[in-house]
Amino acid sequence: MTPPLTRRDFLKGTTVVLFGASLGAGQDVPAAKKTRVVLVRHRDVLDDNSAVNPDILQGMLDEAVTRLLDESDPVKAFGKLVKPGETVGIKSNVWSYLPTPRELESAIQKRLVDAGVAADRIGIDDHTVASNPLFVNATSLINTRPLRTHYLAGMSGCIKNYIMFAPSQEALHPDSCADLGSVFKLPIVKDKTRLNILCALTPQFHGRGPHHFSRRYVWSYKGLIVGQDPVAVDTIGLRLIMAKRREVLGPDQELPPVPKHIQLADTRHGIGTSDLNAIELIKTGWDEDILI
Amino acid sequence: MEDLGKLIPRTIGDWRASGNDQLYDPKTIYDYMDGGAEVYLAFDFRRLLARKYVGPEEREISLDIFDMGSPEEAYGILSCDREDPPAGIGQDSTYGFGLLRFRQGRYFVSVMAADEDERAGRAALEIGRVAAKALGPPGPAPDMVGLLPGEGLRPDRTSYFHANVSLNNRHFLASENILGLDRTTDCAFAEYDAGSGKPAYLLLIRYPGAEPAAAARRSFLSTYAPEADPEGLAPTENKTWVLAALRDRYLIIVLESPSRDRALELAASVAIPAK
Repeated sequence: MTPPLTRRDFLKGTTVVLFGASLGAGQDVPAAKKTRVVLVRHRDVLDDNSAVNPDILQGMLDEAVTRLLDESDPVKAFGKLVKPGETVGIKSNVWSYLPTPRELESAIQKRLVDAGVAADRIGIDDHTVASNPLFVNATSLINTRPLRTHYLAGMSGCIKNYIMFAPSQEALHPDSCADLGSVFKLPIVKDKTRLNILCALTPQFHGRGPHHFSRRYVWSYKGLIVGQDPVAVDTIGLRLIMAKRREVLGPDQELPPVPKHIQLADTRHGIGTSDLNAIELIKTGWDEDILI
Repeated sequence: MEDLGKLIPRTIGDWRASGNDQLYDPKTIYDYMDGGAEVYLAFDFRRLLARKYVGPEEREISLDIFDMGSPEEAYGILSCDREDPPAGIGQDSTYGFGLLRFRQGRYFVSVMAADEDERAGRAALEIGRVAAKALGPPGPAPDMVGLLPGEGLRPDRTSYFHANVSLNNRHFLASENILGLDRTTDCAFAEYDAGSGKPAYLLLIRYPGAEPAAAARRSFLSTYAPEADPEGLAPTENKTWVLAALRDRYLIIVLESPSRDRALELAASVAIPAK
């Protein structure tokens, strides 16, 4: 059993194993066996009003997936993820304050079609995925949502995005949503997730008020965090959130309380890796203020 | 709550209510908020009235009125998030960047402008002022707050709550609920000027009985300060002191005290009521 993480652990510097290890510093896992995650950024993907440039975003997605799968062509890369004849669900997120950008949904959809999936067999949904025939019958899922903090779970990332597949969302709330990883073992989901895209175009690093949202805690990071392992993707997302919180709110508020579900998705539910030493992070594109 | 909605004008300045008022209870509040519901469920939340106002250029302001069951609970929900300065609305309030939060009697109110421009901010404040008039008389603060030592206390940084999720959002202590906090516990968390630029913290917890209080102290010390002396005192890595003291069914925890003596002094100054 993992001992509780305390504030004093931060003071002692013993939290590195859980949340703070330096990326790339771990030498104990051979690179070939590491779980790959790609962080891609582009300075011009958002304009001054945060409007998304769809062409640049498409290029970012293509860059991420080709780097992730060691392919030179994005269509071939997507062809490694899905096959013609499949039914594919794109699990999006419609939270009104910070939804998955339509441009990102469209970019994913385009590449699925390019890879041979029929347009009418691609579903995009959030709240009704558990009853949506395109998701119930899906043979593959693409998981995408924005990166943000969450009052209860600490962080909303790719793991939490699947809560809508659960028979009872409320049942997953106890203990800081500790068992969100269990959703990935439900039959409607199990072994179907081909790609996780954590949208970090405008992540939210802190929350206020009844809806846990304030624009002052959203910043233009202009990135996507992409991988096949939702736990590894969220682990990188958490590092980004922590880095921004440390920068703006100070070291005392570095950790959004308490994102234990990410580590437990690994150690308790075995759906991916939260060990930074076992994650190969590939960074590509714009690197100003990259933070991680 | 339905009647409350009738008391608050549907047109305020250039802003008009859009659609019907929505009502939520502890079972349905999740339908309305993602990530925030637990904030209210950690208190004695009863019902919520939600109304949207739409103004110039279709900009939107959300008015959310929470019936928290008692003035003490309304105090609690407001006190757990005090990042902004007072706004002079209702009994106690904060306002910043388009978000007005205030309490009046047993009600906690949030008025949020989706766009944080000056015009929408002014409208949010006006909607709040109008709503406050419909919420009845003021109510008392929790008795726990009155037990805190007064000297050096920062009232604007004092919080009242029950659950571990509230503590950790106020001041992260541990990833597990090492103090056994739940709806049966009353907590006051306060900051004290410590002379070093950084505050010392005092967490006062009232348990249903002396035994759970003692068990919580043991749990806290074994997890957080296993090297503590018999008094429950231990120096920490950042050259401050932590103390866990038990008085009947009250557990007093001092965190980040600049000195051993200050920790003891703070704990001794808590006004625990006589049995």
